[in-house]
Amino acid sequence: MITAEALTKNYGTKRAVDSVSFTVQPGKVTGFLGPNGAGKSTTMRMIVGLDRPSIGNVTVNGRKYAEHAAPLREVGALLEAKSVHKSRSARTHLRALAATHSIPKKRVDDVIELTGLEAVATKKVGGFSLGMGQRLGIAVALLGDPQTLILDEPVNGLDPEGVLWVRNLARYQAAQGKTVFISSHLMSEMALTADHLIVIGRGRIIADAPIDQVIGGTNVPTCRVKTDSAEELMNALAAQDVQLTRLDAATVEVAGLDGRAIATRAMETGIMIYELTPVKQSLEAAYMALTQDEVEYHSHVGNPLTTANSGKQA
Amino acid sequence: MSTETMKRPRSAEPGAAGSGKLKFSGVLRSEFIKFFSLPSTLILILSTLVVMVGFAALSAWGIGVSMEAMASDPEMMAQMGVMGDMETMAAAIPGSGLMFAQLIMGALAVMVMSSEFATGAARSTFVAVPNRQLVLGAKTLLVSIVSIVVALVSLLLSYLLAKPIAENYKLSLEFSSEAFQRQLWFGVLYVLMVSLIALALGALLRNSAGGIVVLAALFFVLPIAVGSLSSIVSWLADVARFLPDAAGTALMMMPGADNALETWASGLVVAGWCIIPLAFAAVTLQRRDI
Repeated sequence: MITAEALTKNYGTKRAVDSVSFTVQPGKVTGFLGPNGAGKSTTMRMIVGLDRPSIGNVTVNGRKYAEHAAPLREVGALLEAKSVHKSRSARTHLRALAATHSIPKKRVDDVIELTGLEAVATKKVGGFSLGMGQRLGIAVALLGDPQTLILDEPVNGLDPEGVLWVRNLARYQAAQGKTVFISSHLMSEMALTADHLIVIGRGRIIADAPIDQVIGGTNVPTCRVKTDSAEELMNALAAQDVQLTRLDAATVEVAGLDGRAIATRAMETGIMIYELTPVKQSLEAAYMALTQDEVEYHSHVGNPLTTANSGKQA
Repeated sequence: MSTETMKRPRSAEPGAAGSGKLKFSGVLRSEFIKFFSLPSTLILILSTLVVMVGFAALSAWGIGVSMEAMASDPEMMAQMGVMGDMETMAAAIPGSGLMFAQLIMGALAVMVMSSEFATGAARSTFVAVPNRQLVLGAKTLLVSIVSIVVALVSLLLSYLLAKPIAENYKLSLEFSSEAFQRQLWFGVLYVLMVSLIALALGALLRNSAGGIVVLAALFFVLPIAVGSLSSIVSWLADVARFLPDAAGTALMMMPGADNALETWASGLVVAGWCIIPLAFAAVTLQRRDI
C-alpha cells in the first residue's frame, strides 16, 4: 500500500505536484493517468525517495521507502528506461543491483528470462532499443520480487506483444495481492489494465475512483437509435439538455436521455424504432471531460468522484 | 525485438529473490561489480601503470646521463655541491610519473560518481540503495582501495625497473632509505588524496568533464597562479603551502625544503583535503534530488 499525504513538490517557483493525497491499495492495479507534465513521474520519484517532497510525505506499507530494511524487496520501480551505464551489459547491471540486497544470481537469470532478454543479456545496454530498455527496466523492478510495483509509462516503446505482456504482468501481480501502481498517458491502455484510477492534471488529483466510476461518472446517458423516421424522432425528443446528432439516414445519437425515456417518447408519438443501443463513453472522453472541468470549472458538484478543490471560480 | 517472446508472468517461487537485507557489504560488492565492468576502468588503470613505469625509466636514464656528463666535468660537480643530494634525487625517480598518474587516477575517481548521473544509472543505484550515504561510503572505500593498490603497485614496479638503470650510472637507489620510503608511502597517500578530492568533485558537479577540469585546475593551474601572484601579494605565499599539491609534495620530499610546512602540518593539510571535500559531497548528495 502506498499512502501519500499532502505531497507537494516545487521546482523553483513552479509547483510540479500540488498537495496530492491518495492511497494505492494492494490487490488491484491502480492506474495513474494524466497528460505529460502533470506530475506523474515526480510523484513516483518522491515515493522511492529520488526527489524529496517540498511538503507532505509518502509511505510504502507504513514506512518511508528509505527506512525499509530491504527496499528492493519492498518496492520495484521502473522510472525511466535506460537508467543504466551505456557500456554495461544488462546482466552486469542486474547483478550489481542484486548484490546490494544479496539477491542470488539465479534470480538475475530468472528476471532476464522472464522479460525475454536472454539473447541480449551480455550486450552493452547502449545499443538497446527503447523497447529492450523498457524490458530491462521491468527486469530491475521485478528483481527483488517486491510487494509493490511502481511502473512509470511501462508500455512506452513496447511492441503490441510487449504491451500485452505488461498488462498481464500487472494484472497477475495484483491478483497475487501485490500493490501495482502504473502511470500512463494512454487512456486506452489504462482502460484495459487498471481497476482503479487516479487522474492527475497540473499537479493536482482530479479523480480517484474505480475505473467504471471514472468512465461513468462524468457521463451523460447516450444511446444510438435506429429508426425509419429520424426526422420525426428528433423533433419528438428535442428538449433542453438533450443533444441530438444525426449519424446517418436512419441513425440518431441521443445524449441526455436514457433508453427507457427514448422508447417511451417513441411509443407516445407512434414512431417505430428498431434499434436502441446504449453507448458507453470511453475513458478518453471521460478523461477529456475531467481535464476540461479542471480548467474551466470549479469542481464537480454532486458527482461520485473525489474532486480536488481547484480554488478557482468559473 | 518484435520476434522475441516475453514469457508469461509466473509466480516467482517463494524466496526466489532470497531474503537478504540492504547491507554496506552488499553495496560495496555492487560498486566493485560496476567499477570493474567498465572497459574504461581497466584502460585508465593500465595507463597509470604504463605512465608511472615509463617516466621512472626515462628519468633514471636522463638523470644518469647528466650525472655522467657532470662527473667528467669537476667544475660543474663542485657547483652541484653536496653529494648527499644525490640520494634524494635518486629516490624521487620512481615517482617521477606521479604528476600525470594522479590526473589519470583522478579522472577515474571523478567518473566513479559523475558517470552515474551522466548516464542515468544513478536512478537505479539510489532506488536500490535509498540511503545515499551508503553509496558514497562504498564508493569512497572502492576509490581508496583502488588508488592505494594502483599507486603502490606502480611505484614498486617503477622502483624495480629504475633501480638497475640508476645503478648502471652508479646512482644508488635504496629501498630502505628514508628518502625512498617517504616517496613510496607519501606518494601513495598523495594519490589517495587526489582520488578522494576527485570523487567529491564528481558528486558535487555530477559531470565528468567539469569534475576533471576543476581537478586539473586545482592541481596544475592554481599552484602556478598562486605562485606567480605571491611575488605581488605576499600573503599568497602562505596560502600556496596549503594547496593540496604543495602539502602532498612536501610530505614526499625530505624535510627542510624551503617554504614547506613541517611533516605533521603537511599531514594535517592532506588529511583535511581528503575529508573536507567529501563532507561537502555527502551533504550535497543528501540534499539534492537525484
